Amino acid sequence: MSELAFSPEAQRQFEEILSRYPEKRAAMLPTLYLAEKEFGHISPEVEVYVGKLLEVHPVKVREVLTFYTLFASKPRGKFHFQICRGIACDLRGCTKVIEHLSDKLNLKSEETSADLRYTFTEVECLGACETAPMMQVNEDYHGYLTPDKIDKMVKNLK
Amino acid sequence: MLTITIDGNEIQVEKGTTVIQAAEQSGIEIPRYCYHPGLSIVGVCRICLVEIERMPKLQVACYTPVTDGMVVHTNTPKVLRERQAVLEFLLVNHPLDCPVCDQAGECWLQNFYMQHGLHDSQMLENKVKKHKAQQIGPNVMLDSERCILCSRCVRFCDEISQTHELGIFNRGDHAELLPYPGTQLDNKYSANTIDICPVGALTDRDFRFRTRVWYLSETKSVCPGCSQGCNIYVHHNDKRDYKADGIRVSRLKPRYNPEVNQWWMCDAGRYGFTWIDAPSRVQQPRRRRSEEFEEVAWEDATAEIVAKLHTISATHGPESIGVILSPQMTNEDLFMAKHVFQDGFGVQQFACNLPPLSPGDEDDFLIKADKNPNTAGVDLLAIETCSVAELLDDARNKMIRVLYVCYHDLEQNFADTELLPALKELEFVVFQGTNEHSFARKADYILPSAAFAEKDGTFTNHAHRVQRIHRAVNPLGQARPDWMIFRSFARYVALSSPFFDTADVFAAISESVPAFRNLNYEKLGDFGATVGRSESVLATEASVV
Amino acid sequence: MAEKIISPFFKIKDSHTIDVYEQHGGYEVIQDVLRTKTPQDVVDAVLKSNLRGLGGAGFPAGRKWSFIPKDSPKPKYLVVNADESEPGTFKDRYIMDNYTHGLFEGIMLAAYAIGCHKAFIYIRGEYIRQAENLVDQRDAARARGYLGKGIFGTDYDLDIVVHRGAGAYICGEETALLESLEGKKGWPRMKPPFPAIEGAFKCPTIVNNVETLAYVPSIMKKGPEWFANLGSERNGGLRLYSVSGLVKNPGVYELPLGTPLRDIIYEHAGGLLDGRKLKAVIPGGSSSPILTPDEIDVKMDYDSLAAIGSMLGSAGIIVMDDTVDIVRSLYVVTRFYHHESCGQCTPCREGTGWAEKILKRILDGEGVAQDITTLESIGNHIIGNTICPLGDAASMPLQSYLKKFRHEFEARVASKNGTGQVVEKTVADWN
Repeated sequence: MSELAFSPEAQRQFEEILSRYPEKRAAMLPTLYLAEKEFGHISPEVEVYVGKLLEVHPVKVREVLTFYTLFASKPRGKFHFQICRGIACDLRGCTKVIEHLSDKLNLKSEETSADLRYTFTEVECLGACETAPMMQVNEDYHGYLTPDKIDKMVKNLK
Repeated sequence: MLTITIDGNEIQVEKGTTVIQAAEQSGIEIPRYCYHPGLSIVGVCRICLVEIERMPKLQVACYTPVTDGMVVHTNTPKVLRERQAVLEFLLVNHPLDCPVCDQAGECWLQNFYMQHGLHDSQMLENKVKKHKAQQIGPNVMLDSERCILCSRCVRFCDEISQTHELGIFNRGDHAELLPYPGTQLDNKYSANTIDICPVGALTDRDFRFRTRVWYLSETKSVCPGCSQGCNIYVHHNDKRDYKADGIRVSRLKPRYNPEVNQWWMCDAGRYGFTWIDAPSRVQQPRRRRSEEFEEVAWEDATAEIVAKLHTISATHGPESIGVILSPQMTNEDLFMAKHVFQDGFGVQQFACNLPPLSPGDEDDFLIKADKNPNTAGVDLLAIETCSVAELLDDARNKMIRVLYVCYHDLEQNFADTELLPALKELEFVVFQGTNEHSFARKADYILPSAAFAEKDGTFTNHAHRVQRIHRAVNPLGQARPDWMIFRSFARYVALSSPFFDTADVFAAISESVPAFRNLNYEKLGDFGATVGRSESVLATEASVV
Repeated sequence: MAEKIISPFFKIKDSHTIDVYEQHGGYEVIQDVLRTKTPQDVVDAVLKSNLRGLGGAGFPAGRKWSFIPKDSPKPKYLVVNADESEPGTFKDRYIMDNYTHGLFEGIMLAAYAIGCHKAFIYIRGEYIRQAENLVDQRDAARARGYLGKGIFGTDYDLDIVVHRGAGAYICGEETALLESLEGKKGWPRMKPPFPAIEGAFKCPTIVNNVETLAYVPSIMKKGPEWFANLGSERNGGLRLYSVSGLVKNPGVYELPLGTPLRDIIYEHAGGLLDGRKLKAVIPGGSSSPILTPDEIDVKMDYDSLAAIGSMLGSAGIIVMDDTVDIVRSLYVVTRFYHHESCGQCTPCREGTGWAEKILKRILDGEGVAQDITTLESIGNHIIGNTICPLGDAASMPLQSYLKKFRHEFEARVASKNGTGQVVEKTVADWN
């Protein structure tokens, strides 16, 4: 197995990250984000690599990886649909749009399409309750969802 | 000193004492899972919640430090109700495995439920499912469903063995204790996690399904695996021996000794007891009849051996008798051997120690390279007058005509080219030991010794701590403690005292060996006592000054 | 026209940039304070202003700052809690989007007050665009010499690190946030030691919510008495109320502490949807005990809500009307706490999952009579017994919904028998 390593650019970014904190271990979350961007997802090899970089046992890396929800421990779709099921969205009918999106993508929560185009996840409150019902697609929030709006969005994805 | 009142009882404690420790000092045991005196405090199980006056909420006794004048209540209705609630929460997802779980009978969920729970379950839901019956290491089984996530094992691996194999992954009630995927819990102290696991999540692979723990009796002893002398309990099955498949000693557990091993022992020592009930145990005295061995009664064997020793001594002198003892033997065994052979037969050649077979197997925690429990005893009792190699050399040169060998399998330490010529020249060889091996079968007599778990006595560890061992099970078959075998020779050779029991032998040691002066079994108690340096060391130190 | 401090920036174009912020008087007061006031002056002013922590706990900010030991040789840290995850709360997002440098100026003032030279902004992982904006604006401030070595030409060093979380509500709890900042799981710590003594990296640390810090510049600019008088007694100033749920105009409304809840719903947020009647209101984020329509005249400040057995919390107001299934709402809220429970301590870990399963079963029509007492019992025995307030946050909805809407739950676990009589369902009915 070839040795996993950051590209020179990623290594430069990693060193900048390290410089922000008084302790190496504190760079855990930003390093995991960097590693996910660099390697696609956090595989067991990446866990071990990050552990080496931060001088912690890989068990501590894996504990972090499995505790938080945002890291990809498996390959993710190009478009990650995270639809909110919080109380405010529930009051404004998110169940209907969640069902609609699930049917449209033909995925259940936490599933990724075989062609790695979509990942679909039901998530907890995203802090945009005034636009309920809403969802996050990759970096951006989309609110005031209706089945039509969802259909248009999915159609227009590049 | 601080004053604290617990359940109406006022006591004084040192600054830094926690409420749970103060309660223990006061004779009150507050239930606990995650708290362990040898590990860091995390306060996660919540079962030790108690009422402390002037504090608004219940507080965890394990973490709260005593302040002067503190007043604590451990059994008000509120405390009892919340304690019961914690038990109910712990049982929500706990699998109903008791009928198949080894922990039953020593399970803290069972015990605390009987003491503090006794509620009717209100739980109607399906339980969370996790991995079951996984072999996570050579010695440890893990059932993640049974785990109450007290994190004792994780802290052990982080703080004591410092090997970090275990983690708690995911969160909420899907949190799961597991080793890092693809790795094993295989450090040299892995089985301690089984001791500290309050429930049947981490269990012993060796002990798995062997016996129900309520059939076990418990005897205090000391591990004979190395010169550390970790204190242990021998757990033995006396009550249901007909179902034990001949395994009388069921397992060893570490016994708390703050001066030696605290709460821990190494895996090698813990599992080094199977020889006690193995088929290789010598159970009857045997004498050689050309290539075979026949059983012989003790009286006959003893009489014949003594007669032979007298004959050879008369012909070649007592200097032609060589005795090889073992640092596996107790102080009492060694003392009687020296007393009987030296004072009784005039023997001058005593060897004992041999170098370790796997050198360097030592760490900075408990494991010592010397895999014998009583090397220091050999030294303090001034047993050795020569080395085993010298005796074999003398045997090859016909200066030694008799070898009386205890325990050692000399084929492990000496090549055939050294051993066989010596054996060829010897007129008479006696082997005395617990288990038979191919060297034993080269002797003329094989005498059965009792194992450490089958006799009383004392070992002296590397730090010169003399510690008591106690008989847990009867000697197997006709085996006898070594000191008793030597005492039986004294019938044929005029000797000093009747030596009714090991306490008598120890008294004789105390009188004649300066390092053991003023010691007796009472003074040794449960934790042992350190003794002075041997004469040879004192002499060496004196000469250096 | 009522006084506003932060909310005008929601409507100003490019309000997140330095230039626009400075056009509206930004970065004047920090320079004045650095040059003419002592750190203690700032602490005293904030104390006098009655500014209370606006993330949820409502602890007086000035008092928290005064806990920093003055004689400690260790570096001091300021950690900005931007982990906004309490359901119904979205005000900090507005501040970070529109009042970015107002937040920065608040950070600078707080840092100066406690002797801190490095501040971390811990922002929830989902707020990706907000984090990008914070980094861009932080870099812009650095470029102007407003951050870095010797800020604003003084000899005071200060820098800001933007640190993204990774999806965990529990990391809004200050000690879990510190654990997460240090690179570990968000498992809350036991207190003491309190963060002001031993916080980030074992150093004295103050953790403040975004909104709390965002009000500090105005306190220093116009004076603590002015700020205190904007609010109610012991609850100083204005704050941002997030209004969501079944109202015409969900959004963020900046109003004085102590504004009646009725006014916020009907005067500011447009009232209910047409033809609907009010059924219930959550006043302070989903953790807060729910209110019935006869309770909505309560003044929305910390003390008044506490007096009626609820809490202001994050001021996330969620409005429910007569189309809402209260049983389902409790299920959705409980599901949230189960999902977010860190799992460290027994009552919350086991209790939240158990309660969610019971509520789901009730929703599926399989509820039985004992479920109500079991749910109450779960709530009663989590609260007060956990390491951190998430357990309490899960318990308060269980307790308050069951207390105030018990009839709805009872109807759900009852069924009609053959004679049309309503009877309680029991476990035997499952067969």
